[in-house]
Amino acid sequence: MKAVVLNGARSGDEKVDEVSDAISSALGSLEQVSVFKLREIFIADCSSCFGCYLKTPGTCVINDATNGISKKLAKADLKVFLTPIVFGGYSSELKKAVDRQLGVLLPFCNKIQGEVHFLNRYERNGNLVGIGVLPKPDAESESIFKTLIDRNAITLHAPVHSTGFIYVEDNSSKIQDKIRNILAGVGFKN
Amino acid sequence: MWGSPRVSGSNSESLGNYLLGKLNIGGFETEKLQVQTSMRTKESQAKMLEQFGVSDLLIFSFPLYMDSIPASVIAALELMAKQRKTSVFPKTQRLLTILHNGLLEASQSSNALAICKRFAFEAGIDWAGGLSLGGGEAIGGKSLEDAGFLWRNVRKALDLVAKDLLEGKAVSGQAVNLMAKPFAPAWLYVFLANRTWKKRAKAYGTQDKLCDQPY
Repeated sequence: MKAVVLNGARSGDEKVDEVSDAISSALGSLEQVSVFKLREIFIADCSSCFGCYLKTPGTCVINDATNGISKKLAKADLKVFLTPIVFGGYSSELKKAVDRQLGVLLPFCNKIQGEVHFLNRYERNGNLVGIGVLPKPDAESESIFKTLIDRNAITLHAPVHSTGFIYVEDNSSKIQDKIRNILAGVGFKN
Repeated sequence: MWGSPRVSGSNSESLGNYLLGKLNIGGFETEKLQVQTSMRTKESQAKMLEQFGVSDLLIFSFPLYMDSIPASVIAALELMAKQRKTSVFPKTQRLLTILHNGLLEASQSSNALAICKRFAFEAGIDWAGGLSLGGGEAIGGKSLEDAGFLWRNVRKALDLVAKDLLEGKAVSGQAVNLMAKPFAPAWLYVFLANRTWKKRAKAYGTQDKLCDQPY
């Protein structure tokens, strides 16, 4: 089983890096765990050119780190989106990587769960886990974030998904417990 | 402020231009800036923040990217919110957001609007409202005045929005609903969209490769 962790910590988000290490530890028994610390990787903005649909179907025309990340994501059984919660959503670091994933979808669409969505390019997609880090509990931010993960799970055709929250005050033991529970939500047991 | 990466001919700009035109007629002085260009250098970021700080009304016009707002727009909002925490802004500001997405249902942008509203709250800006538009890619970057009969509800919605903003009011439910009205039934949208992609692929010779699985 293979996992990919996209770490969307910005400069100064030490807690998110601590959580990233704890996730790597929790996934230690897997065949392969690829962790991308996105703030250290140059990823150009998606230019909305639809080259990944029309010119080079399935791969981005911009030649940077994204295609390597996309390849790992396409083969992953588990994808973890880890981020400080920013206005209820992803940090700019996480989002820059997520935005460039359009190529995992087909340009063709159909109705899925009552809405029009782009179809899946691959027969199987990994489960999706969203872990948001907050200074303290915040019901509104958490609700927005959970909805975002729910929607990304539909868009990215994740068979199962799970969302959880970690607060700055959580100590390492609490973080490990929370991660264990969040991963159990997609059927992963260490 | 439009958040499409297309420097010109973007649908975000088309929507914003139409609204700005109405506000100009009503006596507003307006300026435009494109997020990605503004975020390129420290100097252009500083200029963007300066413009942000002196404006009474901010209008964001963005495409929906992966169920949320584009990364560069988030980066701009992160900067703006940070500035608001460290500087004094005595001016009362309002924020209107227009989100369009390439799929049919305007409701698919609802959570992204919630993110923008949360930004407004954290930055201490009054929320003037949010509008969602489905199928916005079909505007084709044309000016809304030239975009034809299909977009009449969008023009009507923005006319109502301009009136509300000029009167200092929040955007009405009527404008929100008009903007969100699908311009085609789902079966027709799916048929036309899928046919259009195949047609566009012929220009690149990839019409038989659209379902390739490179990984």
